[in-house]
Amino acid sequence: MPIIVNLDVMMAKRKMSLNELSEKVDLTLSNLSILKTGKAKAIRFSTLEAICRALDCQPGDILEYRGEKENN
Amino acid sequence: MAHKNTFVFIGLQIIAWIIFVGLSIEAGGLLVNFAFSIFKPEFVPNLYQKLDLSALYQSSLWVFYSMYSFVLMIAVLKALLFYKLIQLLMKLDTAKPFSSLAARQITRISYFIFSIGILSYIARQSAKNIMHHGYELSVLNPFWEDSQAYILMAAVVYAIATIFSRGVEIQNENDLTV
Repeated sequence: MPIIVNLDVMMAKRKMSLNELSEKVDLTLSNLSILKTGKAKAIRFSTLEAICRALDCQPGDILEYRGEKENN
Repeated sequence: MAHKNTFVFIGLQIIAWIIFVGLSIEAGGLLVNFAFSIFKPEFVPNLYQKLDLSALYQSSLWVFYSMYSFVLMIAVLKALLFYKLIQLLMKLDTAKPFSSLAARQITRISYFIFSIGILSYIARQSAKNIMHHGYELSVLNPFWEDSQAYILMAAVVYAIATIFSRGVEIQNENDLTV
């Protein structure tokens, strides 16, 4: 998928574990895991807002677009 | 509302089971009679549901067995249809109804209904043609008089199955939306 989720990178920068983040954004561990492993098909703005607030970052820090040509 | 739906659901399961048992008994009875007609022809005048096809048996064995095969196949398909329906009702989860299993089962049910409709139609037309040659087959009409209703029902159920499959896709996408 062209949209890459760099959640683990931001979590490492902020030294936050998955459990901590899940409690702060009120999302289950399984849903966060779906997001972290790139299996998510869509993300709600409310979820993105909560994650950005918890990690003190911008959406662009978490989401990255990598086109098909770049991947190849 | 949820409580009422559960009650209706359970009621539907019970009715489906009752109908399935009745259809199984009918199919079983017809199958046993078919076997008897091959090995003990003296029982042909006393078939299931007091069918007396002895005149047909005497005049043409080919016509007797072909018409009886139609009757038997339709009866077995009807029993299998309700078995599939019971499987669907037992495995359906009302909290998450749009599962690929349910979509597949509804599609299979539509195929069964279509098969019954087509077979009934062919049997009815065959019986009509055979009756032109002097054979008396009106006693078998109740077994295939509602063929058009089955074909119509198959079309409706297939449309529902298609919509259900789309529902499954939407639900899967929703499950992967965080």
